[in-house]
Amino acid sequence: MDSLITAAALALSAGDALGALQRVALRDDPPALALRGIAMAQLGELARAKELLRKAARGFGPREAVARARCVVAEAEIALASRDLVRSPATLREARATLEAHGDRINAAHARQLEVRWLLLTGHVDEAARALEAIAPPGLPPAMGAVHELLAADIAMRRLRAKDLRAALERARTAATRARIPSLLAETEKAFRILDQPVARLFTRRGPRVASFAEVEAVLASKALVIDAWRHAVRQGRTVVELARRPVLFGIARALAEAWPDDVAREDLLSRVFGAKRPNESHRVRLRVEMGRLRRLLAELAEVRATARGFGLSPQQPTREVVVLARDTDGDDTVVLALLSDGESWSTSSLALALGTSQRTVQRALGTLAAAGKVQSLGSARARRWTASPLAGIAGFTPPLLLPVRLPID
Amino acid sequence: MKRQTAEIVREYGPFEGSPKVHGVTFDGERVWFAAGDKVTAFDPQTGREERSIGVPGSAGTAFDGRHLYQIAEDRIHKIDPKTGNVLSSIPAPGGGGDSGLAWAEGTLWVGEYRARKIHRVDPETGKVLRTITSDRFVTGVTWVDHDLWHGTWEGDESDIRRIDPETGEVLERLDMPQGTGVSGLESNGADMFYAGGGAAGKVRAIKRRRQNG
Repeated sequence: MDSLITAAALALSAGDALGALQRVALRDDPPALALRGIAMAQLGELARAKELLRKAARGFGPREAVARARCVVAEAEIALASRDLVRSPATLREARATLEAHGDRINAAHARQLEVRWLLLTGHVDEAARALEAIAPPGLPPAMGAVHELLAADIAMRRLRAKDLRAALERARTAATRARIPSLLAETEKAFRILDQPVARLFTRRGPRVASFAEVEAVLASKALVIDAWRHAVRQGRTVVELARRPVLFGIARALAEAWPDDVAREDLLSRVFGAKRPNESHRVRLRVEMGRLRRLLAELAEVRATARGFGLSPQQPTREVVVLARDTDGDDTVVLALLSDGESWSTSSLALALGTSQRTVQRALGTLAAAGKVQSLGSARARRWTASPLAGIAGFTPPLLLPVRLPID
Repeated sequence: MKRQTAEIVREYGPFEGSPKVHGVTFDGERVWFAAGDKVTAFDPQTGREERSIGVPGSAGTAFDGRHLYQIAEDRIHKIDPKTGNVLSSIPAPGGGGDSGLAWAEGTLWVGEYRARKIHRVDPETGKVLRTITSDRFVTGVTWVDHDLWHGTWEGDESDIRRIDPETGEVLERLDMPQGTGVSGLESNGADMFYAGGGAAGKVRAIKRRRQNG
């Protein structure tokens, strides 16, 4: 490593990004570009930082595969921080493999944490959990250990596992305390608050109420028949009927469950599930067909019975409760708002990717939210980014992305 | 060209408070190395750190028998090793892209890392007297027995090589084990090289076989 690169790296690791930039501002060799990229990232200039790191990666020679891989990882981290999810993580995986092959364990683990983050942001919870398991936390620096546990907490949260969530947060707090990074500790403490907040609505025989994580977990562990609007499934203990790709069937199941132990009139079902204002014969035929399908799918868990005025749900064992578990609030706009609550600026395409829905749906939701003053946008056309307005008043939970402190040049 | 595997005889460090080793030199008793914000000396017999002087050291280090020369950012400082005072300063020939530094026969030899060059420089004025080109990134530079040696380090590959000071032709190579880099380089005037290990924070003693003629 040459003299000014060393001096600039020293300045950067002491938190003096401007001092680092001053030393290499006029240089365009790859290590200088990489340093400038990291310095710009630390100054919050994410777009410029990404550009510089990409140029740096391209400039490194064939013998400098590790330096190039580190640039790719740093660039991916910045892309995640700016919620640019559209780029495929394949290049990140490739870079990770290079780092592993060259024995750069720490940067390889860091790359994998970013993969987990990408998977979580795009809703691939099981894959994220598997990727996280491939990282061995012992031997990680404390700050990375804390991020590891926050990722585990995020997974537990998405799987509605209160006990795992609490345990992961306790470990995150220990690691963050050891790392002595105030922002990381603050993030951990903020995450703890989610344990006591209402996160869901439960519809029971006694009417709807809000519930915390622990209560949600208790319901899922109980013998109740749960219509899970969180993940669009009907479950009882370990038996799960996935209806994520059958929205009509799930809609019927949910309507029946909310009415339980009463039945639902045929007309109410038609208007609720098909949006039919003036139901005709073809609606009725379709409902009969869908009912038949639902009956077969739920056979093990509940009986879908025809009543004089419509349909009703009866658990196979009459003593069982029927509970609907829903998000605290429903609707596309709420979910979009929840994503924006991480305080970052998102593009429409990244939001769509994260929600597994179309850009059109996201745009519609954003339109509603913008009209209500809950979100605001910056830029126009493809560069347009959305953020939650400070008045939206929602609590977020986002494990922090610590912008790289390990320099790509070493 | 003779080619061998470098024989690492001993490793020193990592040293407390010095995560990285940049330049390395030898004053006849102690090995000095540049550790970023200071220059540190240790006894190669015991491996114990003996003293540190608070001058910036971001690349090569050399010793002329009385003074230390130290590359800091884009300057080469002449330093009194007893007091740590900077006595004078000249611009570094690579403008900050400089890496290794050696003293020989009244002139300074400076490696320019990514430019793959070695410059011979007037120690009073900083004027470049001559430039040799290498085919690898140049790290440490040293003279021993009238031979010019330099370290190379590109990515995972690193070696210590003797080159013809006139033509730059590679005459002899000691290959470092994969992933073991050479930042600074100095000979002890006898049968040993001291090689800085960069981010590994180590100084390695490497056997040098005498020429047979």
